[in-house]
Amino acid sequence: MDRPVITRRAAELGFAAMTGAFGLVIAWGAREFGVGWSPSGPEPGTFPFYIGALIAAASLGNAAVALGRDPRFAAQFLSRAQLGRVAAFALPIVVFVLLALWLGLYVATALYLFFAMRAQGGYSTPHALAVGVGLPVALYLLLEKGFQTPLLKGPLEAALGL
Amino acid sequence: MENIAQLMHGFAVAATPMHIALMVAGVLLGILVGVLPGLGAPNGVSLLLPLTFTMDPVSAIILLTSMYWGALFGGSTTSILFNIPGEPSSVATTFDGYPMAQAGRATEALSFAFLSAGFGALVGVVTITLLSGFVQSFALKFSSPEFFAVYFLAFASFVGLGGAPVMKTIVSIAIGFALAAVGMDSVSGSLRLTYGFDQLIAGVSFLVAVIGLFGLGELILTIEEGMHLKGVAARVRPRDVFRAMAEMPRHWATLLRSAAVGVWMGITPGGPTAASFMSYGLGKRFSRYRAGYGKGEPDGVIAPETADHSAGSAAMLPMLALGIPGSATAAVMLGGLMIWGLNPGPMLFVERPDFVWGLIASMYLGNLLAVALVLSTVPLFASILRIPFAIIGPVIVVVCFVGAYTVGARGFDLWLALGFGAVGFLFKKLDYPIAPLILAMVIGDKAEDAFRQSLIMSKGSLAIFWSNGLVATLMSLAFVLLLWPLIARAAGAVLRRPG
Repeated sequence: MDRPVITRRAAELGFAAMTGAFGLVIAWGAREFGVGWSPSGPEPGTFPFYIGALIAAASLGNAAVALGRDPRFAAQFLSRAQLGRVAAFALPIVVFVLLALWLGLYVATALYLFFAMRAQGGYSTPHALAVGVGLPVALYLLLEKGFQTPLLKGPLEAALGL
Repeated sequence: MENIAQLMHGFAVAATPMHIALMVAGVLLGILVGVLPGLGAPNGVSLLLPLTFTMDPVSAIILLTSMYWGALFGGSTTSILFNIPGEPSSVATTFDGYPMAQAGRATEALSFAFLSAGFGALVGVVTITLLSGFVQSFALKFSSPEFFAVYFLAFASFVGLGGAPVMKTIVSIAIGFALAAVGMDSVSGSLRLTYGFDQLIAGVSFLVAVIGLFGLGELILTIEEGMHLKGVAARVRPRDVFRAMAEMPRHWATLLRSAAVGVWMGITPGGPTAASFMSYGLGKRFSRYRAGYGKGEPDGVIAPETADHSAGSAAMLPMLALGIPGSATAAVMLGGLMIWGLNPGPMLFVERPDFVWGLIASMYLGNLLAVALVLSTVPLFASILRIPFAIIGPVIVVVCFVGAYTVGARGFDLWLALGFGAVGFLFKKLDYPIAPLILAMVIGDKAEDAFRQSLIMSKGSLAIFWSNGLVATLMSLAFVLLLWPLIARAAGAVLRRPG
């Protein structure tokens, strides 16, 4: 059954807490650079300090609205099925970023595409291999040869001398 | 008439074989990103921008603006054929476009959309041609307080007229400003808000933010909703195109009304999305054909499309003349201008007339090319959407991260893009507007500089923002817009009171 795992209200409150915390971090960080008046005008921290305070205040406002009686906030935010789909899509992306920083973008791309097509898309190994190898090669030719823009490389490229 | 002479000079700059080739490439790439889910005009332009760093600025802006036109057209294509708006600004096109396609009138709907879009863009460019001299001489009177007032006006209009919840819009704008402040302080030259992380010294790139917020966030949203593609087969039949062309003059009232709405919303930063919705709403109320709205009425395709494109092109005027972008895509391009070493604002017209008028001339040519190209390539691009999402989704993910890396060759930007992707998803789900955040990121430093320099001029007194007629008018207008939701509510309460 498609049960709600998170209500809209919980999501609103959680996100308002995040933005509020971000505002406080900015305001707190800005104090270090001076938030007052100096002989050469407002000090560097002034503007960010008030911006941070504004974020925190508006986040409080958003939280207050979400605590109100508006029935829309009792509705579901994500169902279990939706959460599953998002996780199945997003988690491989996190792994992709980790791989990219370790092995370079080309190798990570090949592994990620192969996995997404073979394991998640249900394609045959030759199909998944074709796309998984084809796209990095195409990117290499376009970016490194066409636009002289190097991408993040790893041990494999070093071994191949690229 | 000086403008006309300048424009002719611009055509000489724009109409070289190299630039025409860039326009064709840009439009085709634009249609591609417009058609693909998750990629749209703002992040398409963001992905391409790093590749233009070494190009001549005129060629670079022609490539990027052409991509923008293509993306606007591509967005309308998927709205009509698949009921999936490729761009937020083409949501209103689905209301009548998709019913038309279902009724077997897909070609007609597409033709109406493209032709009215072309008309809207033309009106937008003509407006720019006529007004740019005026805006430029007006803007040359500006000093720091006026510039800050105009920036403030831009953000106030987002709060007042954007349609999103007010406090959420404020959070979005302020987060953008806060991110813009990270790194080097452009007035004192000191570093701030880096919290001891070396990665933050260079600041947070707005390009990475756009790629994450719009690109990855949009993809996650598509996944969450489950991809349902029920496409209507599209074969463009020339006969239907000509029939639509012959019928266009009958919709003159809608065309003119929508173009006016679009130009207004493009110049005041309401943006193309607000313009298309407003134009559709007005059409539904006032059009001769209003009875058929929502059931597959060509007039209901013409209204949003004309406004969308006239707003999209008119948004270039404040971007060039004042340095204030009227849409998220214009914000990205403005950032590009600064990266190419140009200084957007009134002096741009004086210092680089070849750039400004070359761009304006290329807008005429690019839009004509775009209409022709999009009509001839629709079947090809529609077939791209038949590629299963299991392939195209991950491919777009890779393109987004590769794009984020090319911005500054920093591995840290991959994490940033991922983080912005998650935030973008939550923004969309919880009705926080994204465009104001991008605008604030791009012009944040300039707005802060203007504010600080004004205060230095006045030795700390805020009265400088009301010190002459011009700046006082701008500030007052901004406050009216800022408080507009309250004013409208109060006015509504008074009007509803019986007696």
